[in-house]
Amino acid sequence: MTDLKQRVKEMIIDRLKLEGMTPDQIEDQAPLFGEGLGLDSIDALELVLGIEQVFGVKIEDEASGTKAFRSVEALTAFIAEHAKA
Amino acid sequence: MTDIPGHLPHRYPFLLVDRIIEREPGLRVVAEKLVTAGEPHLQGHFPDRPLVPGVLLLEMLAQAAGFLEADALHGRAVFLAGVQDARFKAPALPGDRLRMEVALEGAFGGVMKVRGTVTCEGREVCAASLMVKRP
Repeated sequence: MTDLKQRVKEMIIDRLKLEGMTPDQIEDQAPLFGEGLGLDSIDALELVLGIEQVFGVKIEDEASGTKAFRSVEALTAFIAEHAKA
Repeated sequence: MTDIPGHLPHRYPFLLVDRIIEREPGLRVVAEKLVTAGEPHLQGHFPDRPLVPGVLLLEMLAQAAGFLEADALHGRAVFLAGVQDARFKAPALPGDRLRMEVALEGAFGGVMKVRGTVTCEGREVCAASLMVKRP
């Protein structure tokens, strides 16, 4: 799980081109949008595409997206749950 | 034949789609634009060497992407929200028949991302990814 969390953080940095940022600078509990990382709706789409490409997990609707994007921890749990299939 | 002014709210001199060749709403669109020397933006860009501005090539792709929406866009705002990895590889000149191809890469939360190319007789003029805020 810790390893997956690290890969999720790396994917976020890579996909959103957060240059100069390292995985350990992203807090596990911090919200991705608004406060916290301060991402916007365009970043959300980029993340949806990145998650599908890197982890093979689809975020189909906004309801599951809202849940998954609460924090890195929530997103890692979402990916772990849906990648099992 | 698609009714272009019936679908897009843009008008002269900023309606930059002349014809829709192929259209699968939500998937892909192929459109055409014929460049003529009389277009207002070519009078000053440049006086001795008319050349379609790169930003207008991106606008052509954005307008073509408007046809990914199944319904007409009148009265509903659609905004260009982002441009990524834009490349301008060859000039677009008066007399050129430009072919704009856009394909949906994904959509989430009212934003869609498309990959677009502008070509002329098989030569690539422009390629870019666009983010469009949907109505």
